[in-house]
Amino acid sequence: MDIANLILAAIRISSPLIFLSLAELYSQRAGLVNIGIEGIAAIGSLVGFLVSVTTGSPVLGVLAGAAAGILVNMIFAFATVTLCAEQIVYGMAINIFAPALAAFIYRVYFGSGSTLVQGDLMATLESMLGIKSDHFLVNLSLDQTPMVYIAYGLVIITGIYFSRTRSGLNFKAVGEYPKAAATLGINVNKTRYMACVICGALAGIGGAYLTTCYSRTYVDGNVAGRGFIALAAVIFGRWNAWGVLAACLFFGFCDALQIRLQVVSNTIPYQFFQMIPYAATILVLAMVGVKKAGPKACGQPYRKEER
Amino acid sequence: MKRNDFAARVFIPVVSILISFLIGAVIIAAMGANPLEALQYLWKGAFGNVRNLGTTFARATPLIFTTLCACFAYRCGVFNLGGEGQFIIGAILACFIATKVPLTGVPAILLCAAAGAVGGGLWAMIAGLLKVYRGQNEMIITIMLNYIATLLMGVVYTNWLRDGNIPQTAAVPDEVKLPSFLGMRATIAFPIALIIGLLIFYYLFSTSSGFRLRAVGLNATAAKVNGFNIKHYVLMSFAVSGAIAGLGGALELLGTQFRLINGFAAGYGFDGVAMALIASLHPLTGILVAVFFAALRVGSTMMQTATGVPTSVSDIIQALVIVFTVAGLAMVRLPAFRNLFTRKARKEA
Repeated sequence: MDIANLILAAIRISSPLIFLSLAELYSQRAGLVNIGIEGIAAIGSLVGFLVSVTTGSPVLGVLAGAAAGILVNMIFAFATVTLCAEQIVYGMAINIFAPALAAFIYRVYFGSGSTLVQGDLMATLESMLGIKSDHFLVNLSLDQTPMVYIAYGLVIITGIYFSRTRSGLNFKAVGEYPKAAATLGINVNKTRYMACVICGALAGIGGAYLTTCYSRTYVDGNVAGRGFIALAAVIFGRWNAWGVLAACLFFGFCDALQIRLQVVSNTIPYQFFQMIPYAATILVLAMVGVKKAGPKACGQPYRKEER
Repeated sequence: MKRNDFAARVFIPVVSILISFLIGAVIIAAMGANPLEALQYLWKGAFGNVRNLGTTFARATPLIFTTLCACFAYRCGVFNLGGEGQFIIGAILACFIATKVPLTGVPAILLCAAAGAVGGGLWAMIAGLLKVYRGQNEMIITIMLNYIATLLMGVVYTNWLRDGNIPQTAAVPDEVKLPSFLGMRATIAFPIALIIGLLIFYYLFSTSSGFRLRAVGLNATAAKVNGFNIKHYVLMSFAVSGAIAGLGGALELLGTQFRLINGFAAGYGFDGVAMALIASLHPLTGILVAVFFAALRVGSTMMQTATGVPTSVSDIIQALVIVFTVAGLAMVRLPAFRNLFTRKARKEA
């Protein structure tokens, strides 16, 4: 069943995107545009790989990836929240700094030799439970790593958090109108730091997913623009957890489709198929149009002294 | 205040560079090498003799183009992160013309350069039009266009212009290669980059059109109230910055790389953005920063062969310079930080 395989692949591919997009969603909901998640994912991917290889436990790898993501994002948090640096500019700085650090650590740790280090992949639920089946529904629900469930669970939690809980509404208020939020007794900077912790952890997990659940090896640049596609997914998903999920599934489907098409066709250069997810991002954004629906204070620094 | 700003713009990057080198030295020492010796080789490798200096200039040339591309666009408030894609499109067009069009010598070079500039400009205009007419975020669009351009280059060197078994294009013919600059490894692309930097400096700070462009970048609403045609300036900044990058790509192909191959121009776009930011978007300072970064890269090769310290240490130093400079420039703009000085001044008075 070809369509079934395609859907399975789409779900597998969209999971890291979901982590990264939720990371960006939390950040932007607190008014911080973080374009550095591409770099944070790179660090998460490397640290996740390192820990997974040395301890033999992909789960520890994911946790370590999250921790590394938080650490790197604290630089962003300090610069943009405390020092009020321009968020876009600092995100760029992180995008240059974090991958360089990742590449450096890899070189130092494994030497510059050409042997490819391989780690273990996280087991799927199917193999954990010892079930063997080729049925589509069984594969759909069980032939996935626990991380996939966590990703979808987080979407649900995020959706409820931002629409149904007091704390979530306060969180959103910081991104919409920080001054008003402050007069209501919400600590704007604390909320923004919290957002950065969540964002760093999720982006780190998204990166670690790539080396613990998706591919056995780490290569420089393995994030391959997913952080930027996540940014697009947040815009396309109208800053809403459900919308973001739909956007991620759409991009995941595009990616799964292009891999399939590469195999099927041998007359058209494969690079044209690889362009599909990136071209789809541009087309989708062009169609979504000019409606501005994002948090109103996005990108603006909050200075307590200014009234 | 004005003088203070200027001091900060020079002071902060210099201090950032010093701190970054200090951290770099600690890393080198932690790896068991002598930091002073390593830094000495770094310096020798970059500026030690005319040959190395030429290599540094050659390495700096493409970076200068992408830096100027970023400077120009950001002055108008346009976050063109697509320097890399525009650079690559320029190189692809130059590659086609150099290997397929039966022209040689100066006319061929001029045609390549013109095609590169036009191609880069048009590629950037895709993002420009989407921003102006569809209100789209230019950062995401230009980054996506980078990936598409890189993949398109892949098609060129694995299919359309592939030469032999290895996935790469044929080298451009000798008659189309750029002449060398003062007999060094750098070609005339280096002085061309410097001249373009000067032209941009002149345009931005000494013409009324450049003034309006900067006004749009500083405060689009105020510029609109003053009757400036914002769409015109935004589109122009996309086109011109793309053309600068595209020209850079064409000249890099004809001057240094000679063929398209996997990894061509990888990272040049973001490097340019970083250098433009370190230089506070000043085109001439940007040139200096680009040469400095190129020196770090060229010098690190000698450092690696002489002391065994891997070249990626220099990548870390470069990245730290960026992180510290951008944070530092933001810090001095903080009200609390400014009060520190005004209070002191008041006390003294």
